[in-house]
Amino acid sequence: MSEVLAAGAARAPAWRPRGGGTLWALGAPWQVGCVALGLLVGLGLAWMVNGYFVYVLANVALLALVGIGLNVLLGLTGQVSFGHAGFYALGAYAVAVLTTKAGMSFWLAWPLGVGLSGLVGFALALPALRVKGPYLAMVTIAFGFIVEHGIVEWRSLTGGQNGIMGVPTPVLAGWALGERGVASLAIATCGGVLALYTWLSRSAWGAAMRAVKDSETASESIGINPVLVKSMAFAVSAALAGLAGGLFAPLSSFVTPQGFGMLQSILFVLVVMIGGAGTIAGPLVGAVVVGVLPELLASLEEYRLLLFGGLLLVVLWAAPQGAVGVLTALWRRLGRQAAPGAGASQARMPGDALSHPGAAARRGALSVQDLGRVFGGVRAVHALSFETLAGGVTSLIGPNGAGKTTVLNMLSGFYRPSAGSFSLQGQSDGQGLQGRAAWRLARSGIARTYQTSQLFGSLSVEDNVALALRRGRLGGLLRARQFHAPDLREKSRALLRRCGYAGPTDIRADDLPHVDRRLVEIARALATDPQVLLLDEPAAGLSREDKSHLGSLLTAIAATGVGVVVVEHDMGLVMRISERIVVIDAGQLLAIGSPGEVRADPAVRRAYLGEAPAAGAAHRRAAGRHARTDAAEWLGVGELGAAYGAAPVLQGVSLQVRQGELVTLLGANGAGKSTLMRALAGLHRPVQGGIHLQGEELAGLQAEQIVARGLVLVPEGRQVFAELSVRDNILLGAFLKPAAREERLAQMLQRFPRLRERLHQRAGLLSGGEQQMLAVARGLMSQPQVLLLDEPSLGLAPKVIEELFAALDALRDESVTILLVDQMAALALSLADHAYVMASGRVVAQGRAQDLLTDGALVRAYLGGEDGEDD
Amino acid sequence: MLTAALVSGLGLGSMYGLMALGFYMTYAVSSTVNFAQGSSMMLGAVLTYSFTQTLGWPWALALPLALALCALYGLLVEFVAVRPFTRRGSNAWLMATVALGIVLDNVVMFAFGKEPRNLPSALAVTPLRWGDVGLGVYPLQLLIPVVGLALAGALHLVARRTRWGVAMLATAQNRDASRLMGIPVRRVVMGAFALSTVFAGVAGALVAPLFNVHSDMGTLFGLKAFAVAILGGIGSAWGVMVAGFVFGIGEALITATLGSSYTQIIMFSLVIVVLAARPNGLFGRMEVKKV
Repeated sequence: MSEVLAAGAARAPAWRPRGGGTLWALGAPWQVGCVALGLLVGLGLAWMVNGYFVYVLANVALLALVGIGLNVLLGLTGQVSFGHAGFYALGAYAVAVLTTKAGMSFWLAWPLGVGLSGLVGFALALPALRVKGPYLAMVTIAFGFIVEHGIVEWRSLTGGQNGIMGVPTPVLAGWALGERGVASLAIATCGGVLALYTWLSRSAWGAAMRAVKDSETASESIGINPVLVKSMAFAVSAALAGLAGGLFAPLSSFVTPQGFGMLQSILFVLVVMIGGAGTIAGPLVGAVVVGVLPELLASLEEYRLLLFGGLLLVVLWAAPQGAVGVLTALWRRLGRQAAPGAGASQARMPGDALSHPGAAARRGALSVQDLGRVFGGVRAVHALSFETLAGGVTSLIGPNGAGKTTVLNMLSGFYRPSAGSFSLQGQSDGQGLQGRAAWRLARSGIARTYQTSQLFGSLSVEDNVALALRRGRLGGLLRARQFHAPDLREKSRALLRRCGYAGPTDIRADDLPHVDRRLVEIARALATDPQVLLLDEPAAGLSREDKSHLGSLLTAIAATGVGVVVVEHDMGLVMRISERIVVIDAGQLLAIGSPGEVRADPAVRRAYLGEAPAAGAAHRRAAGRHARTDAAEWLGVGELGAAYGAAPVLQGVSLQVRQGELVTLLGANGAGKSTLMRALAGLHRPVQGGIHLQGEELAGLQAEQIVARGLVLVPEGRQVFAELSVRDNILLGAFLKPAAREERLAQMLQRFPRLRERLHQRAGLLSGGEQQMLAVARGLMSQPQVLLLDEPSLGLAPKVIEELFAALDALRDESVTILLVDQMAALALSLADHAYVMASGRVVAQGRAQDLLTDGALVRAYLGGEDGEDD
Repeated sequence: MLTAALVSGLGLGSMYGLMALGFYMTYAVSSTVNFAQGSSMMLGAVLTYSFTQTLGWPWALALPLALALCALYGLLVEFVAVRPFTRRGSNAWLMATVALGIVLDNVVMFAFGKEPRNLPSALAVTPLRWGDVGLGVYPLQLLIPVVGLALAGALHLVARRTRWGVAMLATAQNRDASRLMGIPVRRVVMGAFALSTVFAGVAGALVAPLFNVHSDMGTLFGLKAFAVAILGGIGSAWGVMVAGFVFGIGEALITATLGSSYTQIIMFSLVIVVLAARPNGLFGRMEVKKV
């Protein structure tokens, strides 16, 4: 449910600590004043209005109390609970039982009830937070039921259905509070708890809770233990519900099991959602709406629940950020219009050195021994050993699916290695670091960034870095000032500047453009003061200029003594900045050495470009080829652009496939080939440009409509339906054109005889080559005008590849129009009429296939320029 | 006594299983569920009551019509409370379906009245006898698990043998690849919601004669069915059906031996304990976290 709540909290005002502009670190004077005034009006009313309205007023205060507590859970950590009425009941019954049966003073019973709720909350958090989404909702619902039914059944203690009568009113200094007194107490408590919430949400803990909501993964990689943070939020939230419950008992002077059911829990959620999850004043507003609205519409009392159900739906639909969220968004928009250009960010990467004084001496290299990882019987990484450079850039490269990201995930603690070990030089325990949790590794000095940058979107840019500077040590729960201490802030800003970020530091990270996201993420990783910095494709989606800035930044970071480890597809960049390159293929070490050594290594060239086919075979294929330049255009792509979030992946790609042609699309990993294929097939919506099939515009159509028009993709990784039989898989290809499908099935089995023997087996049991043939057969069943093939040879043995390409050759001879993406560049070229070469999301070369085979452009695109200067 | 408990547990368990199958279907193709499925079940019972008792229609007409309306309601749930949120990548469908359930419960309360009503059924008048020994079991209670299993079996056959059924399985396994086959995934999701609501409606109509019909009869039942789906591991069809029987029989045995008062407490405690030990349910598979 984190997204909803993210939507709510996302628009929360970014709090800007401005010297003396805040009162007690709570907010601007007018904000504090507004809330204080509201509470004072409430207090005044409590002594003026008649008896029934005192009860209504107190009820609003109690709803607000629970709401503020639930806001810690919903708003800060993004977890939903449908069981908070259970904690409310615990508090109420604790006070009722202790004050009546044990004769205890309210002032002693109340904190005991709060403690009980908090403890139970912490205990429940442990199982509850292992699960997510609907599972978590189920745990909280189950908890609510257990409490509700427990109260009914434990008659000796709780009085069963009859409840406990005569709960005494609290006595303060000899003065019995009475209803008005308890109502006032509730309102005053509200004010206090709101201040506590504000401090919490602005402390390092609050930031950590938001960080966990935005990206649990990234929070671990800056040393935060998400289980602890979420459990703490659960406990705080439960304790506050207990606090409200403890006031409920003396207020109504009795407690019965009614009013502690799941509906009550849903009302609590409603309070937070209406007001605005993650906003400070939200629960107050929500409580007023939920508590007062039914009273205003007294004649509609019966329709109360109907109203609330409908209201919740409308809020979720129209204003998921809640009332306060909507208002702040409006306010900010007005403010922004008044001060134009405030949000504009101009990033300049530094050419100058990244000075990071001291500490260089204790930084060490990362040493990896015999590392291995098995996924479901498949060896993704096997017996991999290498050492990174301390104070230098080490690059980890390899063809698609080589296991690079798997290695990175093991080194940063997200995957547990199946075998082997790794350690940081100079760490004395000698045990190795393998198998430790990600947040522990982060604290030991391994930092990382992600392929798609994972910033804490609802935190400000500065908070992202400041939180990482704490390296998981969050300090006091309410220490807002500590987290906003000037030296911590200055350090954060300095680090951002040093990484070349020149934009405003108080805007939400979600609003950053792509380049800035990369820089802030690197600054955040550096803030943990790492010995080793792992970067997963940092250059993806950057312009050529930004890439060269990034290169300087990485070498500058390395110069301060940090071991920089990069997984990157842009070979130009890799060759330029790396001192050592580790090449892996199929999960094993292929080569290791300097850029020059690696580029000259024949094994590396083979892995990247594929083996050139035997001369005879090439001849045969070439002989059967006739020029088709006069044929009609079948598939046309014009100026296509696509992006993942803020990151551009394709820029102005144009290409043409003529009827009966086999066109191949080449380029290094990450060049954008697969994205292009997905965009053509309608799986990824392009941001601009056109796609025409036989003159008909396809851009903007749904995938199934594109298939119906005859553009059919055989996707990367085959993607057969593993649990279905081979027969069902093939027949699914004929989903839109079922006519004569059995006959067409028989034809496919003739074309791919290997599938016939396996017809009734589950597709998941087939070998990789057989699955690929199945995927092609399935695609052909759709009767394509143009067949798109994405990486058909990926992960197949050479012999199987030969067989597969023979089948493709046969298709070619039958004049099936094909657009082929394949890592086996030489092999693909030997088959193709025409070829395009892509790099960094653009077409960089095109021409007749034979010409490209001998052209250096291809080698450059895959392995980077000889001079190490161009991309 | 024990026989009666077992039979009743088997019957209720099969209904939990049937509703849990509904959760499984929608979750498989769309990773969402109607959290207020109990309201769908109540709708099935109330419509059946209204058609047969208030309007006096024959069962053969009333039941299909009630179920058809349930299917429509399922489409409404998907359209109003699920799709708007999945489209913007939000998980608010969880709260939205709960809200829609509250709305339906209250609309029914005003239209149908607050008093619980008894739905008479020829199959729930005289308990079965074995010779001279009363078994304490109505014929309906024997019919319920038969219908439950038959429907589960029918679902299995439809999924395996028909074009749309296989499309549904394919969508559950790989959404993108299914779209590449030309399968209209959106319509498959709508179909899953309609069918899951029909299953809940069947459960409502079947158990209505054993309980009273009223507007919040489904709340607890629906939550138990969801607990069953979660326990079974929501991604496994046979897992949820087995979990349904385990839950139903367990519940009946606890009620028979310890009395009904502790059933809820024990069963829901078990749910928490099981999830603490196996976060993906008894039969669910661990998903590999992608970073």
